[in-house]
Amino acid sequence: MAQVSYRKIAKSYGAVEVMRDVELDIADGEFAVLLGSSGCGKTTLLRMTAGLETITAGDLMIGGARVNDRPPKDRDIAMVFQNYALYPTMKVFENIAFSLRVKKAPEAEVKRKVGAAAEVLNLTDYLDRYPRELSGGQRQRVAMGRAMVRDAEVFLFDEPLSNLDAKLRAHMRVEIRQLHDRQGATTIYVTHDQIEAMTMADKIVLMKGGKVEQVGTPDELYDRPVSKYAADFVGSPSMNFIEGEIGEREGAPIFLAEGVAAPLPAPMARHLGRRTIAGLRPSDLHPAENGAVQGTLTLAEKTGADQNLHVRAAGVDIVSTAPRNFQVRQGQHIALAIPPERVHLFDAATERRLGA
Amino acid sequence: MIVQSRSRAAARAVLAWGVVALFVFPLFFWITVAFKEAREIFDLPPRLANFTPTLNNFNEVFGLSLGGNLVGGGNFNMGPRLWDSIVIAVFSTLLAVTIATLASYALSRMKFRARHHYVSWVLSTRMMPPVAVAIPMFFIYKDIGLLDSYLGVILIHAVMNLPLAVLLMKSFFDDIPLEIDESAVIDGASRWYIFRRVVLPMAKGGIAATAVLCFIFSWTEFLFVLTLTQTGLKTVPVVSSTFVTSTGTAWGNMAALGVAAMAPAFLFVLLVQKQLVRGLTLGSLKQ
Repeated sequence: MAQVSYRKIAKSYGAVEVMRDVELDIADGEFAVLLGSSGCGKTTLLRMTAGLETITAGDLMIGGARVNDRPPKDRDIAMVFQNYALYPTMKVFENIAFSLRVKKAPEAEVKRKVGAAAEVLNLTDYLDRYPRELSGGQRQRVAMGRAMVRDAEVFLFDEPLSNLDAKLRAHMRVEIRQLHDRQGATTIYVTHDQIEAMTMADKIVLMKGGKVEQVGTPDELYDRPVSKYAADFVGSPSMNFIEGEIGEREGAPIFLAEGVAAPLPAPMARHLGRRTIAGLRPSDLHPAENGAVQGTLTLAEKTGADQNLHVRAAGVDIVSTAPRNFQVRQGQHIALAIPPERVHLFDAATERRLGA
Repeated sequence: MIVQSRSRAAARAVLAWGVVALFVFPLFFWITVAFKEAREIFDLPPRLANFTPTLNNFNEVFGLSLGGNLVGGGNFNMGPRLWDSIVIAVFSTLLAVTIATLASYALSRMKFRARHHYVSWVLSTRMMPPVAVAIPMFFIYKDIGLLDSYLGVILIHAVMNLPLAVLLMKSFFDDIPLEIDESAVIDGASRWYIFRRVVLPMAKGGIAATAVLCFIFSWTEFLFVLTLTQTGLKTVPVVSSTFVTSTGTAWGNMAALGVAAMAPAFLFVLLVQKQLVRGLTLGSLKQ
C-alpha cells in the first residue's frame, strides 16, 4: 500500500515562500497528474516527494509513514526525469541495471529484472547500445525501465514527454498509462500540458502560485472548474470568457452582455444583478438561429474532423467548434447557441465559480 | 557542407595553409638547427633543406654516441635532466588533476557556505606574479628541507596548476546535468559512488584537457625550478639556459635539447588526443 498524503506542506527559499498549505491525498495505485503553468510549484512538490528538495513545513506521508527526513533511496520511489538523465557512458543494460548494481544485487537477479523490464518496454534488441544511439522515444523508455526495475511503490514523472515531438508524445502517453495499469504502482506525473493530464489522469491536481487550485477527475475539472483559472487551463481550444451581468427575462435568469443573452438555469436567479464572467466552452457553442451569442465570423479554422469558428461578439473573440460541413462566409453574421446548464459562471471580482 | 564558390574555397585553403605555416615554420627551423653544424646555422640565405644532417649536437648534449665520435670536450650529459623533467611533469600533473577533480566536483555539486566565493579565492592565488613568491618560497623550502628535491618541485608545480585546473574541471562538471546525479541519488547511490561510476567517466575528456595543460605548464616552467633546485635536479628549460654562456650561445646544442624535450610532451598530447577533442567540445552539443 502506498498512499501519498501531503499535510499542510509549505516550501520557502530563504524569505521567499513558494508553496503554502498544500493538502492532498493520492490513493494507492492512483494516477495523479500535477498540472499547472510554469512556476506554479508542481515540480517543486514532486521534487519534495522524491526527497530532492527539503520540506519547509508540513508532513509528507508515503504508505502511512512520515518520510520528510528520509533520504530519497528509503522512500520507495522511482523517478523519471524530463531529460531522461541517462548515463551516456553506460549501455542501455547498465543504465537499467544501475539501481540493482548500487544494491549489489546478484547477477542472476539483475539479468532477470532488466530482461523483464526490457521485454515490457520493447527494448530487448537495444540493451547493447549506448543512449546516444537511441531515438527520443527509446531513451524515454530506458528511463522508465530504470524506474521499473526498482519495484518502487510510487512512480514520479517530471514532464517526461516534453522533449518529444507531438506524434511520439501521443504514443508515449498511451504507453505510460498502459504501463501504469499493468504495474499498479501509485503514479505522480507532472506536466503543463492539459491534454496529457486529461488523457492520463485518474486525478488531476491543478496548481496555481504554490497552492492547489482544484483537485478532481478530468471530467470534474472539465465540467465544474472551480475558478476562471481552472476553466481556462483545461480544454482545447480553451474556454471563451465574456464579462457581463445576470439579468432577468420573463421570470428566468439570463446572462447579459453586449450582443449576448444566454438563458441560465433557474437557480441562478439568486445571483441577479451580479457582475459575472460567463465561460462558454467552444464545443458547447453551436451555430443556431436566434442563438445566445450574436456576432460576425472573422475566421474559420479547419482542424480536420471539424472547424473552429472565430466569432467577434461582445467585444471579444469567441471560438466555437462546428461540424466541418457547416457553411458560413467570413464577415457574415452568425448566432451561437448554448444549453443553459453548460454556461459556467464566475464572479467578476473573485473569479471563483458561482454555485446554483 | 555549405555551398561556396570554387575561388572562395581556394582562397580559404591558401589562407589556412598560410596560418599553419606561420605557426609551424619556427618549429621546423628549430628542428633543422638541431641537425646542423654550428657554422651552418647562421648562413644567409638560411638553409632549410640543403645541409648535411648531423647528430653531433645530440651526441654532445646527451653524451651518447649516435653514429659518430664525440669531438671536442662536448658532453653535457643531459639525459638525466630529461628524466627529471618527465618525473616532475607527470607527478605534478597527476597530483594537480586528482585534487582539482575532487575539488571542482564539490564546488560544482555540493552546497556549502560561501561556495561562490571559493572560486574567486582559488583564482586569486594566481593573481600574484610567481616572481613575488619565488624568494620567500626559497627560504621556506630551505627550512623545511624541500629544496632541491623532486617532491618540492612537484608540489609547487601542482599548486601553481591547481587554480586553473579547478576552474577548468568545474566548468566540465557544470556541463553535466544535475539530473544525472539526482537520478543516481534516488537509485540509492552514495555521493562517492556517483562521482566514481557516473560523473567521472563522463568527465574523461575534461580531465584529459586539464591534464594536457598541467603537463605543458610543468614541462616548460622555469622560474621555480631555477630558484628551488641546486644540484640535485634540473628540468630542461633551466638547463637549456646554460647553453647561453659568456663565450657565446651553443645554438645547435640548445636546439637538440629542445627537440628532444618536445618528444615526451608531443607523445603525451598524442595519447590523450582523442579524449582531448571530446573534452574541448563537451557540452557544446546536446547529447
